Amino acid sequence: MSASADNTKSYLEVNPGLRNWLWTLDHKRIGMMYLFGILGALLLGGAFALLVRIELFSPGLTIVGKDWYNKFFTLHGAVMVFLVIIPGIPAALGNMVLPIQLGAPDVAFPKLNLSSFYLWCIGAILLLVSVVLGGIDTGWTFYTPYSLDTQTAVIPAVMGAFILGFSSIFTGLNFLVTIHKFRPQNMGWFQMPLNLWALYATALMQVLATPVLGITLLLLFVERFMHIGIFDPTLGGDPVLFQHFFWFYSHPAVYIMIVPAMGVISEMLTTFSRKHIFGYRFIAYSSVALALFSFLVWGHHMFVSGQSRLANMVFSALTFSVGIPSAIKVFNWTSTLYKGDIRLQTPMLYALSFLILFTIGGLTGIFLAVLSIDVQLHDTYFVVAHFHYVMMGSTLVAFLGALHYWWPKMSGRMYPERLARVCSGGVFVGFNLTFLPQFIMGSRGMPRRYWDYDPEFTIFHQLSTIGALILGVSLFIVVVYLFWSFKNGKKAPKNPWGGTTLEWEAPTPPTLYNFPEPPEIPELYDYDDLVEDEANGNWIRKPRSGAKASTGHH
Amino acid sequence: MGQEHEHHEGHGHGGSPWIQHHYDDAQHQFDSGKLGIWFFLVQEILFFSALFVAYIVYRHHHPEIYAYASHYLDVKMGAINTAVLIVSSLSAAWAVRCAQLNQRKALIACLAITIVCAFGFLGIKYVEYSHKIHEGILFGKKFDPCVASGGAHLINKSNQCAGVKSSVVWDAKAKAASKGCLLTDWKAANAADPRAKTATGAIFDFEPERRGFQGRCEVTEVTYNGKTESGRRSIPACDAGGEGGHGEGGHGEAKGGHGGGHKTPCFELQANPWVCADRGPAALVHYGDHAVRGSNVVIEATCEAVPPAPEPTDAFADRPHERTTGEATFRHVEKPTKHELMHEFSNGPPPEHTNMFFSIYFAMTGLHGIHVLVGIFIFIWLLIRAIKGHFTPDYFGPIDYAALYWHLVDLIWIFLFPLLYLIH
Repeated sequence: MSASADNTKSYLEVNPGLRNWLWTLDHKRIGMMYLFGILGALLLGGAFALLVRIELFSPGLTIVGKDWYNKFFTLHGAVMVFLVIIPGIPAALGNMVLPIQLGAPDVAFPKLNLSSFYLWCIGAILLLVSVVLGGIDTGWTFYTPYSLDTQTAVIPAVMGAFILGFSSIFTGLNFLVTIHKFRPQNMGWFQMPLNLWALYATALMQVLATPVLGITLLLLFVERFMHIGIFDPTLGGDPVLFQHFFWFYSHPAVYIMIVPAMGVISEMLTTFSRKHIFGYRFIAYSSVALALFSFLVWGHHMFVSGQSRLANMVFSALTFSVGIPSAIKVFNWTSTLYKGDIRLQTPMLYALSFLILFTIGGLTGIFLAVLSIDVQLHDTYFVVAHFHYVMMGSTLVAFLGALHYWWPKMSGRMYPERLARVCSGGVFVGFNLTFLPQFIMGSRGMPRRYWDYDPEFTIFHQLSTIGALILGVSLFIVVVYLFWSFKNGKKAPKNPWGGTTLEWEAPTPPTLYNFPEPPEIPELYDYDDLVEDEANGNWIRKPRSGAKASTGHH
Repeated sequence: MGQEHEHHEGHGHGGSPWIQHHYDDAQHQFDSGKLGIWFFLVQEILFFSALFVAYIVYRHHHPEIYAYASHYLDVKMGAINTAVLIVSSLSAAWAVRCAQLNQRKALIACLAITIVCAFGFLGIKYVEYSHKIHEGILFGKKFDPCVASGGAHLINKSNQCAGVKSSVVWDAKAKAASKGCLLTDWKAANAADPRAKTATGAIFDFEPERRGFQGRCEVTEVTYNGKTESGRRSIPACDAGGEGGHGEGGHGEAKGGHGGGHKTPCFELQANPWVCADRGPAALVHYGDHAVRGSNVVIEATCEAVPPAPEPTDAFADRPHERTTGEATFRHVEKPTKHELMHEFSNGPPPEHTNMFFSIYFAMTGLHGIHVLVGIFIFIWLLIRAIKGHFTPDYFGPIDYAALYWHLVDLIWIFLFPLLYLIH
């Protein structure tokens, strides 16, 4: 390898050629490769979702039978959770901006970063292998004992999820060390952008929770392979233990998905309101609080799995308490908007959608935390709608917003703004049309994961399917125009949105080691220093008198 | 590696050529790596944690399984392995010191000792594993040992233990069993039992020498007049005219030998015959046709040990039944010591689902063994680098990190050894 270390050219141009891309240690290139992989997986998972919705368009058989239906919803869940939403914000966008927001040349362990990406690729390939071998029908949760008995391709899917778990752990570990050791000397913990707080909290959960998924899936693999018996009731094992282990990971995993979304939302709301974030410390602490709470509430997935009544009550009460940090964030974001100079550009449209959708998703979560109501709503479409409002309506919408927010910086090109706004409207309308009817039919007793239903539910399913199609088309157009703009978009200025974090001080696109010269650290979320240059769509920093900051590391 | 070299040249770090370009200096790189390895170790602990939780849950529910099954493990081997790992941990820690002091030869020696110890650990583990595989002391359905954890001989489920496939051979001419024995004519012996009025049969003692056996035997094969009937349920029952009778239904609801017309002798095979504490494994065979007694019969049986039913607690159990008026006599009964009870327990048949202990045992020690194996690769890599002279007091991070990893692997074993080997 004779890669050049020229730190004046943009990272996209400096060492051209496929080989240099595949062996790159540059966090921005790795982030870009993640991004394209994740967008591909998003289209795949979306295609499975549309197949599920089309099958449900009418009662009885619509396009495929029940066996394929089971496989479609399983693959939709597995692809979306493990390949798209978990790595979406941290691994793709986080990789690109985390070191730049710190003013650092790279993450702490670039080689580990690259291996995380290749682990992601191997995991993705294994999931695809299980699709080629006929798919799996266990649901993305792989519950025992069914996952021990089914004849479908569980083994490659489980190995895929296991490897994806380690990809996630190594990314988290890398970010933790980078944030600890690469902060500039004059950037204390409370001078970090909120995005970094969120990524830090996420990384903590990735490192602490994902290994439990790893060992659980490893045991499931061994169970299927050699019948070791730990989860197999016929041998004396305990299938409910699997559920405990699985949710001990998978509940924090939900927060691994949502907390980084909260981070990027914090950045976008303040930037597009031209106003300092309201309650910085509260937002920062609430990210960490969510990370801690995430480990204490897994039992609320198992209220009807035969837990003791005491355990149910404790888990229910702890689940309510999750509402506190979540509400702190929502109130602070709303207060940030108050009397702001709000610019409704595409990232902001997504951020505002997030605010509405997350509030709905979060509040319906509180409904489900109530024991008596959960018994009624458990495993109905109400639950499906609730977690889609959080995972998709919140995380994916925030991901799209953040993608538009940083796309000019990372690709050096602007996307078509008007089309993007139309699409963000399509995402919002399509999403709500898909999932609001699901709340209604769920509360009326429509169980999840059924391929057939009573005719009284037809209208809700049809509205939902139409919404899903609108959503699918909008997302597809987004992916297409982003690819298009990569080559053909207008050249992006240095600071198109007037952001105050360090990435807007770096060249567009950034150079190999991000900053040709060590950057000055601007005052965080202070918008008074920036003047809009409307001719170029850029924001320029007013010359500032005062001591220059240096970026020496701790 | 070359790339790093270049970066270094380009960025002018002082000291070791192994300092990567994006770090400020050697100390920055070392500190970052150290924090990274600590997070990695936290991750490792959580990776193992699920197995420890599984251990706690199953032990809480089935303490008897753990008490019984841990006697299968060889404490001596476990102790030697503990010592081996502690020595290797010492040599790994020493290696860090040698690197810091630039003592290359001592560094190489320490790394080599660590590797040798790691191989030694795996070698001993190999001996233990292969013994268990050979003895059928495994997990799941493969748990099927021929010995109790206390060392007593068992009859296992698949009836594959040498010498315990039981059979009785009735010699018609001699009117005696030439192998095993005909205990008694059931009808005569149980005249008081109402069933005896309709049933004719005999209890065969398959293994008179195995007194005290607790379990059940099922007759699987009967050969008479040179013909063999096999399969637990395929032998015609006494009242069967057609499709063959079923010997299930427990305690000898005998269907009688006087069902008219059938020429073949019939055996009603009892699925749950008498369990005789004072006899060997036994089975009741009814024969409806008296003529059978006059032919040569070979009866094969599968005997399986079952755990003894819990004895009802009876506050007066110790009291003798004989009393004389006015003066109570109490017989002093020596209570068995804990040790004796344990000895008896561990020489009996395994409690139900003892296989679960070995699920946990193999999962935990197996995962630990994989970590040892990974450690061997890491230390060989370090040894090669040490021989090449890569490590200096400025750059010894990899040795420090590997040693930390190795200490964790050691520590996990130090937990596993008492939890698996040393419990009662």
